[in-house]
Amino acid sequence: MGSASLIALTLAAVLFSAGGILIAKLLVKGTVNPQKGQAYECGIPTSSSPWNQFNIGYYLFALIFLIFDVELIFLYPWAVVVKKMGMVALVEIVVFLFILFMGFLYAHKKGALKWM
Amino acid sequence: MSSIPLTHILFVSTALFFIGMYGLFTRRNMITMLMSVELILNSVNINFVAFNKYLYPDKLDGIFFSLFIITIAAAEAAVAIAIIINLYRSHHSIDVEDATEMKY
Amino acid sequence: MNDLLIIMKQELLLTLIIFVLLTLKIAKDMDNGAFLNLVNLLLAINFVVGFLGGMEGMLFNEMYHTNSLIILEKNILNLGTLIISLQSWSWLKDHKHVAEFYILLLCTLLGMFFMISAGNLLMFYLGLELSTIPLAAIANFDLAKRKSSEAAMKLIISSAFSSGLLLFGISLVYGSTGTLGFAGIAASYSADPMQLFAFVLLLAGFGFKISAVPFHLWTADVYEGAPVAVTSYLSVISKGAILFVLVPVLYTVFKPIAESWYNMLYLLSVVTIIVGNLFAIRQENFKRFLAFSSIAQVGFILVGITGSSSAGSSAVVYFVLIYIFSNLAAFGVVSFVSATTGREGISDYKGFYKTNPVLSWVLAIGLFSLAGVPPTAGFFGKFFLLLAGAGKGNYILLTIAALNMIISLYYYLRIVKAIFMDSNDHPIEKLSVPVFPKLALYLCMAGIVFTGFVRYVYDYIQSLSIGF
Repeated sequence: MGSASLIALTLAAVLFSAGGILIAKLLVKGTVNPQKGQAYECGIPTSSSPWNQFNIGYYLFALIFLIFDVELIFLYPWAVVVKKMGMVALVEIVVFLFILFMGFLYAHKKGALKWM
Repeated sequence: MSSIPLTHILFVSTALFFIGMYGLFTRRNMITMLMSVELILNSVNINFVAFNKYLYPDKLDGIFFSLFIITIAAAEAAVAIAIIINLYRSHHSIDVEDATEMKY
Repeated sequence: MNDLLIIMKQELLLTLIIFVLLTLKIAKDMDNGAFLNLVNLLLAINFVVGFLGGMEGMLFNEMYHTNSLIILEKNILNLGTLIISLQSWSWLKDHKHVAEFYILLLCTLLGMFFMISAGNLLMFYLGLELSTIPLAAIANFDLAKRKSSEAAMKLIISSAFSSGLLLFGISLVYGSTGTLGFAGIAASYSADPMQLFAFVLLLAGFGFKISAVPFHLWTADVYEGAPVAVTSYLSVISKGAILFVLVPVLYTVFKPIAESWYNMLYLLSVVTIIVGNLFAIRQENFKRFLAFSSIAQVGFILVGITGSSSAGSSAVVYFVLIYIFSNLAAFGVVSFVSATTGREGISDYKGFYKTNPVLSWVLAIGLFSLAGVPPTAGFFGKFFLLLAGAGKGNYILLTIAALNMIISLYYYLRIVKAIFMDSNDHPIEKLSVPVFPKLALYLCMAGIVFTGFVRYVYDYIQSLSIGF
């Protein structure tokens, strides 16, 4: 254990990501055209510079992200003790995630997640 | 680790607390006022973690308290920003000096 | 597990109601009338179940505790919420976001329950925040009105600031005692400078929430701008909940520094009564007027708390009960008139008796009870508060309080005179009250009469209360 396993982990991570890229390169028959270099590769040429301002309507995404992102902080201490506590911890986290999920469903119902 | 005395950390957190208070009282932009409140809350977080680490290392009360403060601060910020956006729609400004429908 | 279900039954039931409403909102679109009927039925069930089979006990390492007095306090808050819900029927029946209103409202009530039952500063803080953040959101519920969003902004900024102060105080308490549990803090608290400073910060945080005077600046603006249902909720339920916590916190947790907090509370109550009264005289808007009068009422409650005896604690609970009835009677009429005609000025109420005699009598009895005129319950409430305050023998404080009762009588009677005697070219037209608001007003009237004359109520509260 210790440093040896750390080195092994690092090596495995590098190999995994580099391997993925290399295999993709080998398998795909590459074609290059100017549209591929553009910001949104949807088949349609971009109409203006991609660095323009976004619609203020997207603040809803930011607010929802803010809440759900920070609530995950409670998963870290939970993950530390889940083995020791067993079933109780599992039930509690399911209740917690259920409450979050209800909030998510509500946001979905209100159309807050719709792409404008 | 233990070379930094507790008083230094408390000095930082107290300074942060009063900077936040000063910002809240002098700034007139609502977003900045919200940021000042966050400064106050973060100073409290530093306090809790420092007390826990230096004085009562065998318990985790303080660290958990700061976890809860972080999440509640996020919820508070989300509600406050939603209110400020709504205010902007009616007042076309987020300067508190412009929100003076009611006085005395 | 069974203990948990029984001890926490009020919180669990409320959570269940919140989830039922949320599921209904997500699953299908109901029309407002049916939804309001359902909500009021659920709240009535919630109120009744609160009285059934309570149990004292502690849970989660003393994080949560409950006893008969706490159960009674929660029932009082349940009753107040039910009355407010009935009253706001005419405002909500055309509102677009009724379900959200109730979900947020009941979330704040849940927060107050946890706050009252807290045996630990962490639990207390979580309950406090759960009870203030959604309130700011529903203060904004007149979405199109400029005043409403301004009120919400003032509420959220000032409550965030006050909880910042409170938290800094809590962190110092934690640093100096090493524990967050109420019992542990009480065992090791003393009057050294750091702990006194921590206590001052805590008291400032409390002062903001109950709008005691140096910290009252947000009150009038928020009360005026917010929808009337939210205003009445803020002024009775939320204030009552904080007072219910303040008393045990002062009497048990900070008992070791009783001398110091007695002096601070003495000053706070004198300033609060005087400023609240003087500002109430010059108000022209009915909601602002009720805001300042409620500030003055808090001053009287603080006089009772300074008594630091079991009489003080029971007088506070008793007064909050009466205050809920009398303030909601006044707010009920104002709320109904504001929702149907949009008029809120005091001068609009001139000649109100000519067109709406019944509503005028309800409003007048509510105001008499707030002023503490003898046959109404408000008199007994104030009497017991001052009696509790007299326990310490501070007659200067009592004299100031009694003088201010006379001043308050002046401005309450000024409104009664406007209603009954003044003539008006454009009086508020004749209004017919729908069944739910009418029921709420009957409940308030019954409460004002019943709690004043039935000795059993006060005796019951006193048999449960604490003190030293």
